[in-house]
Amino acid sequence: MSQELARYLLEKLKKENVDDVVISLSSLDNTLIKFYNNKIATTKTWNSKDLGIFVSIKKRLVSTSLKTFTKEAADSTVKKILAFSKTILPNEEYNGIAQGPFKYKDVQETYDKKVLDIDPVDYVQKGINIALENNTKRTAGLFETSVADVYLLTSNNVEVQEKGTDLYYSIRALVNKEESGHIVSNSRVLSKLNIEKASKKAAYIANLAKNPQHGLPGKYDVVFDHLSFANIIDNLGYQFSIYNVESRLSCLNNKLNKKIASSKLNLYDDATLPNGINSISFDSEGVPTQKNTLIKNGVLKTYLHNTSTAKKYKTKTTANAGLVAPHPFNLVIDPGRSKDLISEVKNGIYITNVWYTRFQNHDTGQFSTIPRDGIFYIKNGKIDHPIKDIRVSDNILNLMKNIKSLSKDQEQIRSWEVDTPCFLPQALIKNVNITKSQ
Amino acid sequence: MEKDLADFAIEYLQKLGASYVEARLDEYSGNSFVMKNGIPQISSFDNVSGLGVRFIINKTLGFLSTNELQKEKIKSIIEKSIKTTKSASKLNEKISFSSEPIYKENYEVKQKINILDLSPEEKLKILFEAHKLLKESKIKIPGSFFSLGDNITTEYIATSEGTRITATIPRVDFMYYITIQENNKTSQRYWDYGASGGFEFVNSWNIPQLLLNEAKACQNNLKKGKKCPKGNIDFVVAPQVTAIMVHESVGHPYEADRILGREAAQAGESFVTNKMLNTTIGSKIVNVVDDPTIENGYGFYKYDNEGVKARRKYLMKNGIINEFLHNRQTAAEMGTNSNGSSRAVDYDKEPIVRMSNTILLNGDYKEQELFEDVKLGIYVKNFMEWNIDDKRFNQKYVGAESFLIKNGKIQYPIVNPVIEITTPKLWSSIDAIANNTEYHAGNCGKGEPMQAIPVWFGGPSMRLRNIKVL
Repeated sequence: MSQELARYLLEKLKKENVDDVVISLSSLDNTLIKFYNNKIATTKTWNSKDLGIFVSIKKRLVSTSLKTFTKEAADSTVKKILAFSKTILPNEEYNGIAQGPFKYKDVQETYDKKVLDIDPVDYVQKGINIALENNTKRTAGLFETSVADVYLLTSNNVEVQEKGTDLYYSIRALVNKEESGHIVSNSRVLSKLNIEKASKKAAYIANLAKNPQHGLPGKYDVVFDHLSFANIIDNLGYQFSIYNVESRLSCLNNKLNKKIASSKLNLYDDATLPNGINSISFDSEGVPTQKNTLIKNGVLKTYLHNTSTAKKYKTKTTANAGLVAPHPFNLVIDPGRSKDLISEVKNGIYITNVWYTRFQNHDTGQFSTIPRDGIFYIKNGKIDHPIKDIRVSDNILNLMKNIKSLSKDQEQIRSWEVDTPCFLPQALIKNVNITKSQ
Repeated sequence: MEKDLADFAIEYLQKLGASYVEARLDEYSGNSFVMKNGIPQISSFDNVSGLGVRFIINKTLGFLSTNELQKEKIKSIIEKSIKTTKSASKLNEKISFSSEPIYKENYEVKQKINILDLSPEEKLKILFEAHKLLKESKIKIPGSFFSLGDNITTEYIATSEGTRITATIPRVDFMYYITIQENNKTSQRYWDYGASGGFEFVNSWNIPQLLLNEAKACQNNLKKGKKCPKGNIDFVVAPQVTAIMVHESVGHPYEADRILGREAAQAGESFVTNKMLNTTIGSKIVNVVDDPTIENGYGFYKYDNEGVKARRKYLMKNGIINEFLHNRQTAAEMGTNSNGSSRAVDYDKEPIVRMSNTILLNGDYKEQELFEDVKLGIYVKNFMEWNIDDKRFNQKYVGAESFLIKNGKIQYPIVNPVIEITTPKLWSSIDAIANNTEYHAGNCGKGEPMQAIPVWFGGPSMRLRNIKVL
């Protein structure tokens, strides 16, 4: 019935001589278990069914959603769209949506029917027990399972549907109030979720963080663990969108084909990444997704485009719609060769997690972010002692230029403060400016 | 509004063994308008309805939500949620709620200029006027982003204990981001405006003029700004900076759920402990309240999402930690009563402990008088970069429009002065508070899934003595 209604809406709008229509129908079923102090705080079970409508009428762009899934409601919504569009003004930069039909390739490991049958409580119990068995006193976190179904229909001959599953485990293990480790495990399929590894590493960091001393300000070589590096890359990732470049909410303006990072950095946006959290075979206008090279050997290779922005810049879409603002799907960084980045540091800091990343000026890249959980002073290639109460206050482009080494191992990170999933190694970045409260 | 669906959910959950049920039915309608670099982007109108339900079964807390508002669908998700929640009871925290009075009331926030009486064109016109004024100023503005929104939410809360509250709250909001260029340097400013009420608030913000003022201030700072002096100096911070300080390092660390550890893996815990109640943390002149009942506050409500009557809470009284923010669960755990701080941003989110309108109360001084005693200091009018650690102890505020104060007088602009300070040091450094309170708006993030909830934060200008600048 829902897909029929979407087709009914499309035909109804086409009869009204609108220029472009995109209808996206999505259904979502989620279960989340939130825990703290080794106990379950609450369960959350939710479902939603949404029908989003995008219409362009003489470059006047309207978006809305259908509240009730009936033909009467659809008729009424069409009337409202037409009336609403008459009272707004055109977006003269808008250049239309992609012309289908397209052929799509399946993205591997994005759906696992086993996810539908698990009892999430068992997974939470296992994770808590592992952390406690590894000499921690408290745990907090969550385990979320999602099942999604997306159907896309456009006025330009696109009709495509995809199902997906998603698993998200996050655990913070604490020995004491200021002695903690936080790790996540993310997967689209059950076989690649690793609760044991995450819980053990969170506990390992927490135990290593016992009795932290105050850190000192200065310049340090910093090893960013996967979680902290992902936060920084996530904060860089959205700046590749041409929409943010034009708004100057990006430090990448006028830097196309220029060297903006260390030669060791190869960064991609890849919606076709097998098991990628945001992997999907089509973007919001139905263009088949692809792997885009954003930075190659330190050189900025492309911004992210949809069909409309690509036409403006006389280039091809990178299949990153966003109907108005292009966006990244999964940010991927090539691994390096290092087995142990800490051993490469004489005088430095190992940061396992950060949060509250904020920019003074997106255009210049000046920003700061605050380490949380285990932070460690490194001396002569070894962790010397845990520290606390420091801040990274630097420029994000400086950090990219100063990447000295990348680890061999990659992890997929999506967390409370990492919105765009990142599949990346750990990074050793030299001369990072560290500040602290006075 | 199909209130009977909320009542149905309560009855069905009770039938299945729930000892407590709280159902919340939301109807939301809203509009939003976005302009980038003077060009309208996309305009939206939305209508959303949904049901969110919390319940206790086997002393375990469960939450469910759906936007498929048919009884069979509701039954189905209740059964799924009950199954998971019963399974969770083997590892539950044995939840209990404080006992609270029951209320039945309908209320709404009145609008002087109804947001439904204005056409989308009239709303967009404000953004065009703002862009036009900026263009006419000849200030080089390579990037601008404006967003204007309005919405009305009607919420019906019903509990198995008998609470029945219906609230209708209209809200308006505006956000801007502008980039100013002078020679080869740029400066950026961002801020939010918001209120509960009608379009009269949008008019009162005078958006074109406020943006022009911001652009001029940024340009002046780029043209004439000098480096911040180092050493121990005084700071006078204006209401916008006071506001963020109050929110970050008084409001958040006093949230009882953080203190108890419930947010440990998300927004974090707190350096404040239960034992710190009634101990001194700031100067005697510091009084901070969280008050949902401030008329037209962006975080206004009369009853919270557990049906508890809202009231003003003194978080800090004469520099002493006086009261935490509680819902019924944290109150029961700490042996007190809820003070009505339970909020959810949408029907599909669980209500958790939140701030509402968090304000430093006025002192006796005029702002000008704060400068008079300062030999060497910085006046920070507003800021861009800020952050605070997850225990709410170490914070940083980087000034945007800022000036040197020398021998009691404002001198020249200063570029990006930094206050990087601990919470006790911040609140004990204050020796004078002005009487020029302003209210500012924000959307505060907490919980998982993330809930960005409308709040006001505010207060007057205040003077901080002897702050070390590196």
